[in-house]
Amino acid sequence: MSEHDHHDEHDDHHDPRSPRVRVEALEDLLVEAGIVDRARMDATIERYEHDIGPMIGARLVARAWVDPDFRQRLLEDADGLIADEGIAGAEMEHIEIKANEPGVHNVVVCTLCSCYPWALLGLPPNWYKSPEYRARVVREPRTVLAEMGLQLDDDTELRVWDSSSETRFMVLPERPTGTEGLSEEQLAELVSRDAMIGVARAADPTP
Amino acid sequence: MGGVESGEVGPPRGLPLHDLGGQSGYGPVPYQVDEPAFHADWERRVFGLMGQALRRSATRPGEFRYAIERLAATDYFDHGYYGRWEAAFEVVLEEYGVIPRGAVDQRLDAPDGTGPSARVRGVIERDPDALPPDRPTPAPQGRTVRRALSDRPRFAPGDRVVARPGPADGGHTRLAGYVVGRRGTVVRLHPAEVLPDSSAHDLGERPQHVYCVAYDSAELWGPDAESATIHIDLYESYLDADQDQEEQ
Repeated sequence: MSEHDHHDEHDDHHDPRSPRVRVEALEDLLVEAGIVDRARMDATIERYEHDIGPMIGARLVARAWVDPDFRQRLLEDADGLIADEGIAGAEMEHIEIKANEPGVHNVVVCTLCSCYPWALLGLPPNWYKSPEYRARVVREPRTVLAEMGLQLDDDTELRVWDSSSETRFMVLPERPTGTEGLSEEQLAELVSRDAMIGVARAADPTP
Repeated sequence: MGGVESGEVGPPRGLPLHDLGGQSGYGPVPYQVDEPAFHADWERRVFGLMGQALRRSATRPGEFRYAIERLAATDYFDHGYYGRWEAAFEVVLEEYGVIPRGAVDQRLDAPDGTGPSARVRGVIERDPDALPPDRPTPAPQGRTVRRALSDRPRFAPGDRVVARPGPADGGHTRLAGYVVGRRGTVVRLHPAEVLPDSSAHDLGERPQHVYCVAYDSAELWGPDAESATIHIDLYESYLDADQDQEEQ
């Protein structure tokens, strides 16, 4: 039941069961019926591929690293702060930010579907939506994180957040050491999407 | 129904296919560092349809998720997330009469019943008496599932709670099977929301307080569990007070 769909890439261009073929027919039907406007559709895709993505979350993280008041507000009233920052989009009924600290690590999942903070991180990667991640990260989270390259100390407290209501979660990673001289922009570049889901750490600065 | 038998580890058997938390038999996560949002152009097209295609169908909270959950296993699993979306689009657009039944198959000169609609489970008729009563709330500002409830929340941070078994009628719920019958602790309240178990079935909003509930991993998976605290959001109508706690 792997979600890998490599075979889709090659041999199913005419298979009427393949979503690649079906979505083309469906799009044509809806455009002809005047229900869907193709230019608006392209604009939506463009927006989520280029404008709405992890750089939004990373900017908040970098600012929280340098500004304690901002950090406090981000953790206590993310909704208010996000509104003040002019960040808008889908999937943001209520946002909560969970801070990693020395001895505490957070990781986010949606076991029932694929809920994710789109407005802050863009669209989720496939692995986040995979049955493997959804099934296992609530049951053997340390093993899963280790397999993904994140080793946690045994005495690090691990907090898993399963997004089952309309609240969406994002992780505030720890600031890497050796970053004292960096600007906010440089700091934001160290913050990957995966670090804000909680399956990685923020990157160390390149010397 | 059938609650959790003592000593048994893991989620109850017979959960719906999408209720994956804690299910065994899954291998390594197909992880790719900095994986792109789309792997193929057809995924972009499916995503692009979302906003416009659903304007006239499946707009109630939980309704589109329920359509995804009603898909046959092959349509749910075989082509990933955007495969599920494409299949569920066809299903709801046909159910709402936005496109004629079988329209995509016909356009592709495919035999009737090739598409997901031939395999999807229908919307079940849910017994409204199995749901908590509706209660009026002020009209919200804009499009949101948040509601201002005047009733006080039944639970407070620190309270011990147990989720009773969810509806076994094949309808929609946001109660994950793996926490049913397990003892958790309320950590905090989220904003009150429309109850998707009701709205997905067109039975009204029946808004609920929503709690973030924490479970010790050993309570969920047994004494050998990897040490962790699992938090999940639960609607008030799913929860009872932990009786053992009250008797102490």
